[in-house]
Amino acid sequence: MSDVRSLLLVGVGGQGVILAGTIVASACLRAGMDVKKSEVHGMAQRGGAVYSHIRYGPRVHSPLVEEGGADVLVAFEWAEGLRWLPYLRDGGVLIINTEAVVPPAACRDRRGWTPGYPEVDVARLRGRAGEVLACNARALARRLKHQKVANTILLGVLASRLDLPDAAWQEAIAATVPASTVEINLRAYQEGRRLTFPRDTAPVDGSRRPVQARPSSRDGATAFLIDVVDGWCKGCDICVRVCPEHCLRLNGRERVEVIDAAACTGCRLCEWLCPDFAIAVRGVAPVLPDTARRTE
Amino acid sequence: MPADHRTASEYRRYLRQEMMPHILCPGCGHGIVLGALLRALAGRGVDPDQVAMVAGIGCSSRLVGYVDFCTLHTTHGRAPAFATGLKLARPELAVIVLTGDGDGLAIGGNHLIHAARRNIGLLCVLFNNQVYGMTGGQLAPTTPSFQRTATTPYGNLEPAFDACRLLTAAGATFVARGMTLAPVPLQDIMAQALAHKGFAFVEVLTECPEYYGRYNRLGTGAEMLLAQGRLPEAVADRLARKTFLPVREEGAGAAAGGQVRPGLAFGILHREERPELTEALRAASGGARG
Repeated sequence: MSDVRSLLLVGVGGQGVILAGTIVASACLRAGMDVKKSEVHGMAQRGGAVYSHIRYGPRVHSPLVEEGGADVLVAFEWAEGLRWLPYLRDGGVLIINTEAVVPPAACRDRRGWTPGYPEVDVARLRGRAGEVLACNARALARRLKHQKVANTILLGVLASRLDLPDAAWQEAIAATVPASTVEINLRAYQEGRRLTFPRDTAPVDGSRRPVQARPSSRDGATAFLIDVVDGWCKGCDICVRVCPEHCLRLNGRERVEVIDAAACTGCRLCEWLCPDFAIAVRGVAPVLPDTARRTE
Repeated sequence: MPADHRTASEYRRYLRQEMMPHILCPGCGHGIVLGALLRALAGRGVDPDQVAMVAGIGCSSRLVGYVDFCTLHTTHGRAPAFATGLKLARPELAVIVLTGDGDGLAIGGNHLIHAARRNIGLLCVLFNNQVYGMTGGQLAPTTPSFQRTATTPYGNLEPAFDACRLLTAAGATFVARGMTLAPVPLQDIMAQALAHKGFAFVEVLTECPEYYGRYNRLGTGAEMLLAQGRLPEAVADRLARKTFLPVREEGAGAAAGGQVRPGLAFGILHREERPELTEALRAASGGARG
């Protein structure tokens, strides 16, 4: 069965996983292959998981990809990619979208990010797959002024790693997507196919860790350092609301970060009112102005 | 307020840091109460091995899992009973009971009032979030009238316990009430309660945004916390004075249909001197124990 290749497309509802699967299967048929496909798309409206198994080759008997059997895993969403990682075979190719879609069930604070969502950190995938191709497909699609084609960009990346003829892909896309979007989808496909990793795709957003800020200084007065334990913060917003100097804010991951360390007066309200012990305000040695230092 | 900024955050050494972050919901006020208690302990420079924290069942009782003292996680409502036994056996320990409003006032109400009656040297911190948080937001004996919970979808028709008056009547020799919005006075109350000889009871108003807040549309944890400042009794200067305040303020709200929060007084509400149980026992046993 070594001449049969197994693909797994995974994502969440609304990302176009099923459409992408249909295009892949259609491209395989146009390349003269036998192809079988099986998909699950229940709960899609609630942000649930959607996946599509595709197997193609001269003769295919079963559409199902078994654990450790996928040659290529295309993850349209970060957490889904991590969840399906065991299905990738040793040395397989992982194509992963760094966009995060937090399912409603994980929104314990009903505001979006929670600590339960896995950190988007591409470096951690190193060694977990033969080749890791990570990009923010949504951001790339926005550059094409059409964010719905994120799935087609990922298909382009997939096409660059498969042995199907380019014409088969283009015909399949043109025959499958709505007529008014054929042109933009073909452009998105070419965009994905041309991407070089990681040159075009770094830096990946979300992997930055704002933890410590520079100490504040007030001309010889005690300076203060706001330490935030990123992993303990639950994004409850209390410190942001009580800080009289507006030193803090919630970042895109709904964790607190220091935006204006110099304004901190060391009142410690944020520390005392943090229910998660995630903030400590430390006084550090006075920062002397340069002139004072020279006279010493 | 700590004078030395370099050591001000040292109370975090009392945490079992490898267990963090704790399981409590975002915006839950319980961590603020624990922080005030830990700072009060750090201010006294206590040795963690000389502190025993005893808890029953509930959100507040989960906190003992995150502190690096001698800790006991016991049966529902029975924390004062376990703590009584522990204090009798090891009177030199500082024994602290963490309990919630459901744990301490409903299933464990009897244990609590009898510990107060005996005036045994415990510090009991009651986290009052007005609801059963861990089990899904059911009615608690502290839920204010007309408020919604999972079991009172049309509003609670029962009046709420005033835990401080209850414990004063039961014989507690130190009774105080704090709130999460005022962490500095809370820390001061905790410090005075730790220094007290006899049964010290501290009730702290805290927020449950996930259940109580959601059922009553009180907003996020941050909004609930800040709303405490609108309690007419919660004026900061009164807190600073730490004097006994008139317990009930029946205002215009009572006349307008009774939909008023129970009047709550804050600060140290009652303090008296009475023989502490373990000392009285030792005195009664005379030379027998030496």
